[in-house]
Formats: sequence, structure tokens, C-alpha cells
Amino acid sequence: MLGRVGNLTTVLAQNVQKQQQQRGMATLKSISIRLKSVKNIQKITQSMKMVSAAKYARAERELRAVKPIGDGAKQFYEKAEIAALPDVPQKLIIAITSDRGLCGACHTSVARHIRLELNKDDQNIKVVCVGDKSRAILQRIYGKNIILAGNEIGRLPPTFIDASKLADAILNTNYQFSSGEIVYNRFKSVVSYSTTTLPVFSLASVTAAPKLSIYDSLDDEVIQSYLEFSLAALIFYAMKEGACSEQSSRMTAMDNASKNAGEMIEKLTLTFNRTRQAVITRELIEIISGASAL
Amino acid sequence: MTAWRQAGLNYINYSTIAARLLRQALKPEARAEAAKRAEVHIKVTKWENGKPIKTVQGKNENC
Repeated sequence: MLGRVGNLTTVLAQNVQKQQQQRGMATLKSISIRLKSVKNIQKITQSMKMVSAAKYARAERELRAVKPIGDGAKQFYEKAEIAALPDVPQKLIIAITSDRGLCGACHTSVARHIRLELNKDDQNIKVVCVGDKSRAILQRIYGKNIILAGNEIGRLPPTFIDASKLADAILNTNYQFSSGEIVYNRFKSVVSYSTTTLPVFSLASVTAAPKLSIYDSLDDEVIQSYLEFSLAALIFYAMKEGACSEQSSRMTAMDNASKNAGEMIEKLTLTFNRTRQAVITRELIEIISGASAL
Repeated sequence: MTAWRQAGLNYINYSTIAARLLRQALKPEARAEAAKRAEVHIKVTKWENGKPIKTVQGKNENC
């Protein structure tokens, strides 16, 4: 019994050795195939980096022009000290992402922020997903909370008309919310962004604000028009910030990918050369030992 | 109540129409540049119960 087991192990060990040898033989070809494919991947990631660098430069230039629009709209909410109505708990969350991936964690961090909010309370929060990425992430668990989804965004820089179409669609959903927030990636520098929120309020919340009287000659008509406009303006601003941080983070991601591919190429070349040398040495040994056996 | 609100438009529709008219009134050399900013790419879809329902058509689709 014991002997049999001992036999089995030696057979197994031989098999393993044979397999390793076979693999060692085959690797020369397979390594060169792999080397070629990694080189191609590196070329792709490098060119993607160049493309996103150009897009980033444009997005940043446009973002600088848009910043005052967003600041102006934000100031109004801060100066008038508007808060959500306590008796209307309904909230609206607008997720600003895009259709395109390969840009690090920028879409995931927006989605995670929203998921945390929804974990707390998934009855009174509705979500508007801008961009396929956030929709794809939130759809599975919180599909019922999505009321609007926008796509075809991210290929070209967002325009104000995009933002106003979305704002119009939000106003036409007939969803009664007292407060809301726009979740987007705020661009800080080429290498960093942070996921931030912008507040949005309904007409009822604004008219109930305690410090609204610091603004002169307001009537409901004016406030309503202004709120409609400021929703579009805030969405536009958030879209621009999001587009800029997306491009910058894609740039970094692609840079890292090319660097990793470069490391991989180095290692693969080394193993390739080593294997080739081993094959040559083995053949030489075979020839020499064959010759000396004569 | 203003006339455009009575006609069922909100301020967003009103201002996009105004902006479109302004773009059309520009001189030809400036108009080409402005037309680039007037493109719409986004497609908005209504969702209910975790399913897309239909694409939302704006009141002024080609604005």
C-alpha cells in the first residue's frame, strides 16, 4: 500500500517535470506572441494618452470660462440661506458622469457617493443619471430610483444646450422635490479631483428661505424663471468640471498603463532572451555529449 | 404672467429660443463659431421601475 503511494508520487513528480519542460520549450513562441501583444497595447494606451491630453487642454480652457457661471448660481443659494423644507423629504440627485470608461475611478467615486446616500434612505431619493457609466453602476441595485438617464455625453465637450435640455427634462418629470444635489468631480489640478456636490432647491424651498428679503424686487415669477435658469447653469458648470477631471484622470490612467506595459515588456524580453539561450545551450550539450559518446 | 409662460414654455425653452435667434442674426463670420456651441449631443431617457421608457423629446428639438 505504502509502496504504491510512493510510486504514485514519483509518477506525479515526473509528470510535473515533463509538463514544465514542455512549457519551457513552448514558451519561446508564446513569449514572443505575448511580447508583441503587450507592445501593441502600449502603443494604444500611449496614443489614448495623447488624445486625452489634447482634449484635457481644451476642457480646462473652457472650464475657466464657465467657472463664473457656476459661482454665480451657487452664491444665490448661500446668500439667501436656503434650506430644504423639513416637511417635504423628497430629494433629487443628479449624477454627472460620462459614457466613456478607462479614466481611473472618477465615475465610480460619483456612483459611490450616491450609493451611500441611497443606502441611508432609498424611499425619498430619486436619481438622474447623466452618462452611461453612472447608470450602469446604479441600475442593478437602485434601478427603481432612477427617473431620468442621459447618454451620448462625453464624446464631445458638453454645451449649454445639452445642459438646458437635461434641465428641461428634469423640470418636466413632475417629481416634487424640496432639495437636491448635483454630484460631480470637481477639478483641482491635472492629477487630482474631488467628488463634490452642488445644492439645488425647489421654488417652495426658496420662497420659504429666511434671508430672501436681501434681494430686492422679487416676485414668484422672477424666482421661478431664475431657478429654472440656475438649474441649467449649475448642470452646465458641473458637466464642464466633470469633463475636465475625466480627461485629466484618463490622461493619468493611460500614462500609468503605458508605464506598466513598458515594465512588462522589459520582463518579457528578459525571459525571452533567457529561454532562447537555454534552448541553445541544451542543443549544444546534446551535440557535444553525442559526439563524445561516439 | 408672461406670454411665453402662458404658452407652456419655461425659462429654459424661452432662453434657448432667444439664443437661437441671436445666433442666426450674427454676421456670417461669427455665426460659424457660434453654431459650434449650439449643438446638442445628449439623449435623455425617462426611467420607471428600473426600466427605460422612452426618449424625452424636447419642446424645441432642433434648438
